[in-house]
Amino acid sequence: MKKTKVVIIEPSLIVSAGLKKLVESNADFSVLATLPCLSAYNEFQYGMADVMLVNVSLDRDGNIRSLLPTQNNTAFVAITYGPYDESVLKPYDGYVGLFHTEEQLLRRLRNAIEAVSDRPKVEASNELSPREKEILAAVAKGRSNKEIADEFSLSVYTVVSHRKNISHKLGINSIAGLTSYAIMNKLVDITDL
Amino acid sequence: MNPTTITYSAKMKMAEIVCCPEQLSILERLNIRLGFGEATIEEICGKYGLSTNLFILICNIYTSDSYVPSIEGLTRSDIPKVVSYLKKTHSYWLEQCFPRLHANIHAMLQSCDAINQRVLNQFYDDYDAEVEKHLAYEENVVFPYVMSVIHGEQNSKYHILDFEKNHSDIDEKLRDLKNIIVKYLSDDQCASNHSVRIDVLNDIFKIETDLNKHTLIENSLLIPLVSKIEKGIL
Repeated sequence: MKKTKVVIIEPSLIVSAGLKKLVESNADFSVLATLPCLSAYNEFQYGMADVMLVNVSLDRDGNIRSLLPTQNNTAFVAITYGPYDESVLKPYDGYVGLFHTEEQLLRRLRNAIEAVSDRPKVEASNELSPREKEILAAVAKGRSNKEIADEFSLSVYTVVSHRKNISHKLGINSIAGLTSYAIMNKLVDITDL
Repeated sequence: MNPTTITYSAKMKMAEIVCCPEQLSILERLNIRLGFGEATIEEICGKYGLSTNLFILICNIYTSDSYVPSIEGLTRSDIPKVVSYLKKTHSYWLEQCFPRLHANIHAMLQSCDAINQRVLNQFYDDYDAEVEKHLAYEENVVFPYVMSVIHGEQNSKYHILDFEKNHSDIDEKLRDLKNIIVKYLSDDQCASNHSVRIDVLNDIFKIETDLNKHTLIENSLLIPLVSKIEKGIL
């Protein structure tokens, strides 16, 4: 069976080392990386993780998912040192606390994975879809998300998720990089810019 | 000795820990000269007026990816050393790394078709300008501010947390460039010697790692230390 890939983002070395040991004590799991902070996360190295185990205090604004781009069906599990308000844990698919047993920890990881397993997966192929190509061309022309949403009769939210998928597929995040790709691949003409 | 397995301690011999390019860069940036003989880390640091704690901290940052630096054990007098370390790193990038990358990119693009040449030149020039601006801000605003704080002058308008907020990420475009070359620059588009592309990527990998470590020093040493002084607790 394929192992469940886990990334741990936790500032305390003691906690992250402990979690890694406990998680890997079960043969179904392997820890891809233990990182001390969100900025150490690299989408292209760890974007394929099945579970992100993240210290809840690292994200103060409740947008952990957009800070750590992953596949749609990656489960996010919070690491909590104490009691947290439900609203703080809302973006997560579950949480684990310092006093959970090994068994509780693994069960919570499995529950979280199950909870996200019916979400649509990002296509396995990294080819851009026709719609993504159109949107990328619009981005290259300097259009804002709002303008693109109006042009294609989409919600801004949908445009944002298209853009995330485009960046994920191409491995290019900056607008300058996306523009270069679009020109190199003739999605736009350099004279249109 | 494998650098990733070293547990540094004050009594270790300095000569023993010099075993990778990163370690050499650290010595250069701290102005520590070779010829250590049997001297320990502690002794060499003493000779250069550098705290052993700071030296070991910097070594750990470079040799272990999972290392979480803490400012415990550092004092006010370590800050000028941190600043000079960061400045040296900047000059190294500006004088050596980026010019070399630029030259290799130029060589790589020589044999690309006109469109790719134009696009990637533009992309790199914009990135270069961004890096220069980022480094100039640190040199002209952040570092002078840090030095003034150490000397007890409080500038009410600027705070180190303003730096933290505006501390932009200069490795994003570098990662993009890497991916563009790895994924999308085939022999059809770029007839240059394949080895030039490999040279460019090697340059990028080196700079990327160095940038990450540098940002870690700024975010987890410099900013917390200065923030403590601002609050009057260091």
